[in-house]
Amino acid sequence: MVVNSLSFLCFFLVVLVVYYLLSTKKVLQNSFLLACSYWFYAQVDLKMTGLLVLLTIIFWGIGYGIQKAIEQEKERLASRLTTLSVVVGIGALFYFKYLNFFIGSFVAAADLIGIHLSWTASHIIVPIGLSFFTFKLMSYPLDIYHGKIGHEYNIFNFANFIAFFPTILSGPIDRPKPFLKQLTQSRLFNPDNLMTGFRRVLWGMFMKMCIADRLDLYISAVWNNFEHHSAVSILFASLLYPFQMYADFSGYSEMAIGVSLMLGFKVAENFKRPFFTLNISQYWSRWHMSLTSWLTDYVFMPLNIKLRDWGTNGTIAAIMLNMTFIGMWHGADWTFFLFGIYHGLWYIPLMVSGQFFKKTKIKVNNHGLPTSPFAMKMVGNYIVVTFGLMLFHSTDISEFWAVLCRIPEAWNGGLFFDMPTMVNAAICSIALIYVDFQEEWFPNKKLYLPRFAETYRWELTIALEIIAILLFGIFDNNQFIYFQF
Amino acid sequence: MERKDILAQVQDVFREELEVDDLVLTDETTADDVEEWDSLSHVQLVVALEKSFGIKFTSREILSWDNVGDLIDCIEKKK
Repeated sequence: MVVNSLSFLCFFLVVLVVYYLLSTKKVLQNSFLLACSYWFYAQVDLKMTGLLVLLTIIFWGIGYGIQKAIEQEKERLASRLTTLSVVVGIGALFYFKYLNFFIGSFVAAADLIGIHLSWTASHIIVPIGLSFFTFKLMSYPLDIYHGKIGHEYNIFNFANFIAFFPTILSGPIDRPKPFLKQLTQSRLFNPDNLMTGFRRVLWGMFMKMCIADRLDLYISAVWNNFEHHSAVSILFASLLYPFQMYADFSGYSEMAIGVSLMLGFKVAENFKRPFFTLNISQYWSRWHMSLTSWLTDYVFMPLNIKLRDWGTNGTIAAIMLNMTFIGMWHGADWTFFLFGIYHGLWYIPLMVSGQFFKKTKIKVNNHGLPTSPFAMKMVGNYIVVTFGLMLFHSTDISEFWAVLCRIPEAWNGGLFFDMPTMVNAAICSIALIYVDFQEEWFPNKKLYLPRFAETYRWELTIALEIIAILLFGIFDNNQFIYFQF
Repeated sequence: MERKDILAQVQDVFREELEVDDLVLTDETTADDVEEWDSLSHVQLVVALEKSFGIKFTSREILSWDNVGDLIDCIEKKK
């Protein structure tokens, strides 16, 4: 069930009505929400719903054990249970997502030295949303162990946090503390939340259906047949890909955040105009923020603390491992491994030069816009990101290499240009760039409207977004890129 | 060592490491209140505090701090 589909719309409308009819009875409202979340997940991945429930029970039980061990001052037991939770979480990820990859790589390596093996694990099916809900599960015992939260004795509240249907498939990856706190508060019908949430859903649909899916027509046409396209077309499609990814995943996040808000929940933000950044470090602080902050707190920080006596070298080691985790989190392939390493390597000059440890403020000119050197750095950073995403887009290393080799071979051809697709995509992309530009550089300045229209600003925005979606949207329920993770 | 003396010494370390001369810390101050205090400068602060007080923190202690008050509690226990 895709979030921007008619079936989801019907499901959500029914949920919304019943949910607010139960709003005076918190226990019933939370129970209904949990039932809806499990029903939703079962529609998407029936076979793995049992696994989701089982892992929820295991992690809740471990959380209970850690809490009791801390209360009884059994430090070693608390530490061992925390380690166990990490082993179970990583183990589940490894078995379902990476075992096949490692077996395949091992068999290929053995083949190179003349040992022929017929091992396979291709029967393993990756549960949808595994990478997202496993991270939510693991943060729970870790937070209890570090004293950030107490154990949630109501298992249904914990299950609600893990299975919350707006975010279970592709995030944002929420943290236990803010979410569990919201579950204990009553969520009455609030027209402001409903309206703001609805606007974010519409904006997300616009990004996904009018920009990401439209750009996908061009990018896929070039990338899937790169051997027949010129270097200019390949480079142009590659340069468009980060923008498509942004519209796709940020669009999904807007919808997930909007749907959550309509249910009275404030969940983590995921994007903050990531292309207005000067270097790779700033980029990652604004791209898939809920994942990067999770890895910062649970991977980078503990590593950096452990290696603190090594100085800058310790930070470099922590960053390289952290970025490798980020790469491999996206998928089981060497392209993702290299994607992580590639990004990690870009941090080294920043750390050696000291820029990493300083907050560089962007200088603006008299018009409030970034000065030329800073604007050029942003363009440069976009190109750095583009190269990394070429790896990300490739099905394997050999395809990535073949695309790279094709570029110097095919300088003579012209630019492939699919006029209707590009015109539609350009109109909608300009709208997105304009909105991001306003929010980044002129956050307090509203678009001028005549006085009679000013009263209806919200209504006009919503009407305009609906018209734009109907006019420019692609209605074939295209999957979101991040659903595969 | 009294708590107020620990706070004063911690504040000096923060001012020097974060290069903010007029920084004033209280028990309730968190990383969100100080722009320069992020996940990177946090580790630099830890190293500087360990040097200044002549103590060593465990990873669990460092990761459990929510505010300056928690940090001072931890130093108080070790002094």
